[in-house]
Amino acid sequence: MGASETDRKLRKARLIFYEDDVERINKALENYQNLSKSRCNMLIDVEGHPVTQVGSTEGINLETIAALVAASFAATKEVAKILGEAEFSSLTHQGKHESIQLSLVGDRTILATIFDSEETTIGMVMFYTKELVEKLAGIFAEIGNRKDMKQGVFEPMEDMESVIDDLFGDV
Amino acid sequence: MVQINFAKREINCKLVYYGPGLSGKTTNLEVVHKKAPASKKGELTSIATEGDRTLFFDYMPLELGKVGGMNTKFQLYTVPGQVYYNATRKLVLQGADGVVFVADSQPDKMDENIESFQNLEENLREQGLQPETIPMVLQWNKRDLPNVCDVSELDKKLNKYNSPTFEAVAVTGEGVFPTLKKLAQMVLEKLNKEYGLNPDKKGEAGKKETAAAPAAKPEPKPEPKPEPKPERRPEPKPEPVAERRAEPKPERRAEPKPERREPAPLPSGNRKPQGYDIGSGALPPPPKKGGGKGLMIVMLLILVVAGAFIGGGYTGKLEQAVPALQKFYDDKLAPTLGGGSQSAGGE
Repeated sequence: MGASETDRKLRKARLIFYEDDVERINKALENYQNLSKSRCNMLIDVEGHPVTQVGSTEGINLETIAALVAASFAATKEVAKILGEAEFSSLTHQGKHESIQLSLVGDRTILATIFDSEETTIGMVMFYTKELVEKLAGIFAEIGNRKDMKQGVFEPMEDMESVIDDLFGDV
Repeated sequence: MVQINFAKREINCKLVYYGPGLSGKTTNLEVVHKKAPASKKGELTSIATEGDRTLFFDYMPLELGKVGGMNTKFQLYTVPGQVYYNATRKLVLQGADGVVFVADSQPDKMDENIESFQNLEENLREQGLQPETIPMVLQWNKRDLPNVCDVSELDKKLNKYNSPTFEAVAVTGEGVFPTLKKLAQMVLEKLNKEYGLNPDKKGEAGKKETAAAPAAKPEPKPEPKPEPKPERRPEPKPEPVAERRAEPKPERRAEPKPERREPAPLPSGNRKPQGYDIGSGALPPPPKKGGGKGLMIVMLLILVVAGAFIGGGYTGKLEQAVPALQKFYDDKLAPTLGGGSQSAGGE
């Protein structure tokens, strides 16, 4: 019951990332990337929206991979439940060359690490991931606890219909 | 749930197409993908079976441009309609900001529509979302088929929450964009309501924070120490006390109040009793009475002695001052001090 209530609360709370937050997150990610010798690292919220990324993302469609990673993680979570686990905190897909490791950060975010098997090993990646996840979880806890900015996130839209007309104008 | 990313100046919203199997959810998405300009759309990704039935979801990002100073992106998803895939359907619904329910207008599909809508309600609630409040649009699809239910019948059986409805023929693209447009509008309106800087509420953000945190503050706060005395008195004091203190209070209160009130705002809960002590009148009067009388006596004595000395000073003899002092003592002080004066006079 406790867990589901927390989950519900978290779902209600929207994620707001400020530039300072993302700077801190990026710094931690860059450091981790150097240590783990991974190719690129992405943070994705559990709903599938990309938050930030560092490293070489060439040839990677970030939005699509974010949606798929989130879905994959969500599906794995259900599998974990069936097996009597609360969740699987990490998930690895290993390919011949490229591999991806997914790790849950806090309650709402997933770290996706893409690495080349010739550059590093899964052991190295996992080793440094643990430390990074703890660090990021701390940052996210701060973000989650922040109560400000309920109002005034963006400029008011007085005439919503015309705003929508403009947006869909050439669609 | 909406993600607001200031680093990228982005707002990300998740819209989900829901409905029974083969009602046209994927077709809706395909039309959006086909007609949206390349600059505004991402890839359409489908996790489908070989027979092109959605296994997990279809997905495409749609970037609409600047809204309220932020770049607005919609992530469009469809769920697998088949009853069998409820587990994956739930996952797709997780964190949705808006829902399009695509109903099949054929009469023999009505039961499936109803079942799917009920399933939507259940799954929304399970995800912590409320079907009553989540932005939702209903689409009556396949209106081009010869034998379709009347719109009023569909509305009666499915439109439980009085949502906006649109007739559509998704395969030809008819009604697809009006449906999406309406939902986008509803989602943005909700967002604007919750996060927009409404001119009327400009000052509220700050106010709310300060008012919400110290729940017990209101009492000490509005009383800014010694100045607003008149307001304070009536609050804590019973009538008789107020009368009694009418004259001497002003000075005395002015001093003790600031000391007591200053710490009060912090642990307001604990300070309440102190406030009552100050105002109850039971404890404070004794020290004030005693202190006042003693002070009066001392002052009078000083005056008397000084007067006596001055009186004596005219003649230059101290002895002449003594009777004058004795006389003043008997006349003025005896009635005030009662018994004390007698003993003094006896000396």
